[in-house]
Amino acid sequence: MYHKLEVKNLSAWFNEKQVLKDVSISFPSNNVTAIIGPSGCGKTTFIRCLNRMHELVPGARVQGKVLLDGRDVYRDMDAMEVRRKVGMVFQKPNPFPNMSIFENVVAGLKLLGVRDKKVLSERVETKLKEVGLWEEVKDDLRKSGAMLSGGQQQRLCIARALAVDPEVLLMDEPTSSLDPASTAKIESLIRELKEKTTIVIITHNVQQAARISDFTGFLYLGSLVEFGETKKIFESPKNPLTERYVTGRFG
Amino acid sequence: MDSRKAKELLVRAVTTFVSLSVAIPLLWIVADVVIKGLPAINFEFFTSLPAPFGETGGGVANAVLGTLVINAMSSLIGIPLGVLTGIYQSEYSGDKRIYSLIRTSIDSLAGVPSIILGLFAFTIIVMRVGHYTALAAAFALALIMIPPVSKATEEGMRSVPIEIREAAIALGLPKWVITLKVVFSIAKGSVITGSLLSFARISGETAPLLFTSLFSYYWPAGINEPMASLQVLIYNYAMSGFGEWVTKAWGASLLLLLIVLMINTLVRAVSKNKGGY
Repeated sequence: MYHKLEVKNLSAWFNEKQVLKDVSISFPSNNVTAIIGPSGCGKTTFIRCLNRMHELVPGARVQGKVLLDGRDVYRDMDAMEVRRKVGMVFQKPNPFPNMSIFENVVAGLKLLGVRDKKVLSERVETKLKEVGLWEEVKDDLRKSGAMLSGGQQQRLCIARALAVDPEVLLMDEPTSSLDPASTAKIESLIRELKEKTTIVIITHNVQQAARISDFTGFLYLGSLVEFGETKKIFESPKNPLTERYVTGRFG
Repeated sequence: MDSRKAKELLVRAVTTFVSLSVAIPLLWIVADVVIKGLPAINFEFFTSLPAPFGETGGGVANAVLGTLVINAMSSLIGIPLGVLTGIYQSEYSGDKRIYSLIRTSIDSLAGVPSIILGLFAFTIIVMRVGHYTALAAAFALALIMIPPVSKATEEGMRSVPIEIREAAIALGLPKWVITLKVVFSIAKGSVITGSLLSFARISGETAPLLFTSLFSYYWPAGINEPMASLQVLIYNYAMSGFGEWVTKAWGASLLLLLIVLMINTLVRAVSKNKGGY
């Protein structure tokens, strides 16, 4: 199995406080890998290290390696290249308020100078179809993204992230602010998206990890306690801490 | 009535009375200017040059044009400088010392009386070129525009939430693109509001013009020449003691008041539907 993204001995700090301790994980291509763990375990910091968003915070520091197709994202690539190849979807939908639905989807292309109307229109249609939003918004493409419901906004944000053809898609609790129906739509979307990209998703919802992921990593107090196929993590965890967490006895 | 209710009533009565009475001067001014200025307004008022002292008729067309030209030049200098300063302060001033140096300078500039800015423009421009010039007026008024424009820009951009910035960063966009095409674009409403308000503000400034563009009874002859303006026309004519000119001064005041009120209405319209944050 090919590993698109490999994390080797990753540690991260905010000033003096260490929030990640020597984490190593290999993410298999075209699979969904879930990172689970209680609040404050370092999940968000971990995922933000993968596309170099962690370093944006003053006082933040990283040690170790993150390899994308064998290239170290910290030493062999510049941050913008990394972020174009490793897309991200956030906890709260964050469409650009000054842009229409159309412009939001192709923001990454348009702002980098792609002017060709045909290319942009095609991209908008393909990506909105991929996230299942096309039928709902095809007549309102010129309207503001802010008029959509929370779940639609989040799918718009996924379309925006996909529109630059990322090789890896990071999702930071993408359904935590959504209602159950919108959550279900996004979960089925995630299962489809893995055909084309490698997905890393953070969730504090253990059932969600069980439903959508192929692999699961359990992070606790900044350390990776256990990593493996989701089925095994949930049915026969090796570590008693993992077992207690996935059965809901703490969290 | 118990004393608690009496106090409540007293506070309500006093604040109501005082706030209504502070509205009186404004209404009074507007009414006075309209009553005394309206008779001066006719077609000739907007299209003709001033008539010589002692003669009737004529207009203030050169002063209207002059004020617009001076304001336009001031905006061309002041708004870009203010906007760029605001962008720097909000997005690029990593060093706290540089930030506070600029912040303090701008706050101080905002506090300098306009007559001193006029004198400053007089010494460094008018005295050098040897004659009064509208360019010096534009320079002095631009200095008045910079602080409000830069503050409106900075505050508008700072209020763009981190979530929106992160969305742009995560797309792999360079910082300058995020700054100009995402953050600045969202803050545009605030920038336009600040620029319009500063435009309204300089439309009333008179002291700096007395040292710089002074006045002319003719059409503007060039931007490096003395130039008529409504403000200085009001000042000259009101003090002339000649009835025809005093009426013209009232007419010009009415015009100036209308310009400023129009801009304020425009500002309300802009800030109402600026969207974003």
